[in-house]
Amino acid sequence: MKPKTNELSRRKFLGNAAAVSAVGVLGVGQFLTACDKIKIPKDLILPPLLEQAPDGEVIKAGVIGCGGRGTEAAQNFLDAGPNLQVVALADVFQDRIDQCRKRLKEVKGVDISDDKCFTGFDCYKKLLEQDISYVIIATPPYFRPEHFKSAVEAKKNIFFEKPVAVDPVGIRTIMSAGKQAEAFGLSIVTGTQRRHSPDYIETYKRIMGGAIGDIVAANAYWNQSKLWHRNRMPEWSDMEYMIRDWVNWRWLSGDHIVEQHIHNLDVIHWFTGKTPLRAVGMGSRQRRVTGDQYDNFSVDFVYEGEIHMHSMCRQINDCANNVSEYIRGTKGYTNCQDTIWKPDGTVLWTYEYPMKDADGNPTLKISPYVQEHIDLITAIRTNKPVNEAERIAKTNLMAIMGRESAYTGKETTWDEMMASELKVGPKELIMGKVDMEVVIPIPGTAPQE
Amino acid sequence: MILSFTGRKWFIILTSAIVVSLLIFAGDKAVIYTSTDDFCNRCHVHPHSNQSWIRSTHYDNQRGIIVHCSECHLPPHGQGYLKEKIKTGTRDVNSAIFKDIKKINWEEKSRPDIAVRHTYQSSCIRCHENLFTKGLSKEGEDAHLYYNEHVEEVYCINCHLQVGHYSENVIHAKNVQFGKEKKIDTIYPEPARITEFKNYTEYIPGTGVSFKMIAIPGGNFMMGSPMDESFRKEDEGPQREVSIKPFFMGRAEVSWDEYLAFFSAMGTEGRSSDAYLNSLNATNIDAITGPTPPYGAPDQGWGTDSYPAITMTYHAARIYCLWLSKVTGKKYRLPTEAEWEYAARGGTTGPYFFKGDPAYFEKARYKNKLSNSDTSGIIAYVNYNLNSRGKTVPLGTLKENPFGLVNMLGNVSEFCQDWYDPGTYSAYPPGIVANPTGPLTGEEHVVRGGSFRSETSAVRCAARGRTWSEAWLKTDPQMPKSIWWYSDCIYVGFRVICEY
Repeated sequence: MKPKTNELSRRKFLGNAAAVSAVGVLGVGQFLTACDKIKIPKDLILPPLLEQAPDGEVIKAGVIGCGGRGTEAAQNFLDAGPNLQVVALADVFQDRIDQCRKRLKEVKGVDISDDKCFTGFDCYKKLLEQDISYVIIATPPYFRPEHFKSAVEAKKNIFFEKPVAVDPVGIRTIMSAGKQAEAFGLSIVTGTQRRHSPDYIETYKRIMGGAIGDIVAANAYWNQSKLWHRNRMPEWSDMEYMIRDWVNWRWLSGDHIVEQHIHNLDVIHWFTGKTPLRAVGMGSRQRRVTGDQYDNFSVDFVYEGEIHMHSMCRQINDCANNVSEYIRGTKGYTNCQDTIWKPDGTVLWTYEYPMKDADGNPTLKISPYVQEHIDLITAIRTNKPVNEAERIAKTNLMAIMGRESAYTGKETTWDEMMASELKVGPKELIMGKVDMEVVIPIPGTAPQE
Repeated sequence: MILSFTGRKWFIILTSAIVVSLLIFAGDKAVIYTSTDDFCNRCHVHPHSNQSWIRSTHYDNQRGIIVHCSECHLPPHGQGYLKEKIKTGTRDVNSAIFKDIKKINWEEKSRPDIAVRHTYQSSCIRCHENLFTKGLSKEGEDAHLYYNEHVEEVYCINCHLQVGHYSENVIHAKNVQFGKEKKIDTIYPEPARITEFKNYTEYIPGTGVSFKMIAIPGGNFMMGSPMDESFRKEDEGPQREVSIKPFFMGRAEVSWDEYLAFFSAMGTEGRSSDAYLNSLNATNIDAITGPTPPYGAPDQGWGTDSYPAITMTYHAARIYCLWLSKVTGKKYRLPTEAEWEYAARGGTTGPYFFKGDPAYFEKARYKNKLSNSDTSGIIAYVNYNLNSRGKTVPLGTLKENPFGLVNMLGNVSEFCQDWYDPGTYSAYPPGIVANPTGPLTGEEHVVRGGSFRSETSAVRCAARGRTWSEAWLKTDPQMPKSIWWYSDCIYVGFRVICEY
């Protein structure tokens, strides 16, 4: 059985690297005469990037997690092509269902009947019993492994948001359910939309072709202003409050290095084709209002061959913001998004955006948020399954690895994380009292078992 | 007997001649015929090959599917099938003609490290395409994820050895019953009391277990091997003069009886971390927790009793010593590498503590096949790959060394407390080294003496070995891996010393 992963295997990566360096040696003359001539390998596995999903049998979708992202993803799905329907909704809260339903009615003219709307913690089980073949999972990350696994067992094609889990036990659930999905021929796409974005993809092709030589260092940033929080309403139970304020609670979101920064880490994972061996991180909580998360992390990830990748993420107002990636090679560097530079800082190549947005900024023709659904539906309708589960699980574990190092102050290793029994969250999911004592991790105080 | 054997030879020669001509003239049909179970079973009549197959899940299952010999013991068609068929066919015909079937060690050939040579991974995977099947346990999922990450290092049969040929001894599951059936006649109420420096018998209080301890007088010796010793390795030098204090040493390796006394007293379902174990010492030993149930049969089905205990980890051996110290009120520990070699030599200076040159024994070994060369000098003392039949031997099988110790060389390699470093000897300060304890830190520990699997070269007094922590736990399906039992090492045990 050949692993049908969408990702370059390690051996393949090394093979490519060898090919790349051979090209490098042979291509010197070429570079002198025609600087912008960059080789693009033909065997890369990339999404087809159609502007619209091909027509086919009607695909009925259900949404699990009808908050902002779930509602938006449902619209993105409907925008992806012909013969697509959203027929069922599930959310732990009724008001979320109502808002989502109303929005889909207003914007898309979609009617969803009461008997196709489900609430409560087991809403997803009822939704999966419906006549649907496509599930959008956009619940808080804590719930995703269980929801994903159930959706695979119900043999649904899945679009699920990142991150996919908040702890290593959840990661392994995703990995093995992902393998099951592979055996069933299901298609799975995750919300790491950079991998479905033509500018990133064109840059990736050129990096794989050797445009910057061998990778020697990288950086990943997600430094932004404070994220949202909710103030507690008197009628909310502990659990209800925590879930409504989920981006601020470690057990629900995985902390922001996992929840947001995963996008940038995924780009590094994609471009290097590798996962780090070990990490040492630090972080703290300075300005956050609610919850028990940190609001800044800085992690040194080390790869095979002592290649370092520095990752940095922060959610604090009035600081230097930057959401981007940077990879340095022996022959140049790139922002991974749309430009490749030579070592001296002159531009070697830049992506030409097809159009300009309302403000006159260059932009893509199709939003990557829609593109990811187009790619998933294309896979289903052309019967060429894609499965992004393993790769997102690995990126996700990388983020957890950085987080755990920052929390404890200790070095973490990949093998240790792959084997870790760490599982967070309350023992029981009940809409009621939860132990809400806020315990902020303090490095250097981890119990010496 | 001779007639029938010769008859069989002729049958085989004839058959192979027919096979070859059939292959040439009849092509497909011959290939198919020579791949039937009946054809295989004509020669593969060794104990239980057929019976154990019929008892295995590849024959006896709820689905009525029977997996035939050649479906596992040859790769799938199109994946080197014909090539392997010719290769293995030639090998089989050759063995059938030139080897005595009764002398072939079938049991050894069924162990995973050797079985992978005649069981094809590609064949497992041809049928078992989906490793994440419905109803797979959490442990199974974790183990298969581990396999996916280590495809090149782990084989299916590392964990699923019993699926083709059933055996109780290789079931890859927690063996909660292990060591629990033992009947005890005598219970020793008190440990031995040491009043003077001479040999004594230790009694483990509350059990029926006793073992002999030998008084090893102090003295000086040359540690390591001289440059001209046959098969000498770089890490055995430079030779250093070492002085050793007197101590008591176990006459033999720690036996299953002894280890199981610890196991039944302290055995637990829980697990403790390495950090916790490292923090244990003689003063807080009350906090000891004991081994978890092993996977499969740690004794490999060879026997417990006075057979040396094997497959326990270095940590387990260390904790055993702490426990033994506590229950006997003495100071037991693993020997240092220097104490071990001093004891093994017993005042001798050659490659072995008996007469003989490793190079001679090695040559004799190959000559042995044609004429009866003399290896009696070594096999009286050492259980190694010439005479071991791939197994350990129990106490009382082999002769003592000059100090009165048995099985110092061969049988099982023995843990020493030192960290392993190839440059240990040159790192000691000049002059006579007193009671050295090896490097301060390290990754792996020293093991000494070679084992039942070793060549003549590795059962020399000076030969050094080490633990391979990662490789020895490669197929442990648990996450995190056991700190008590090695899943992939059956040739290391240990011997205790008691401080005087």
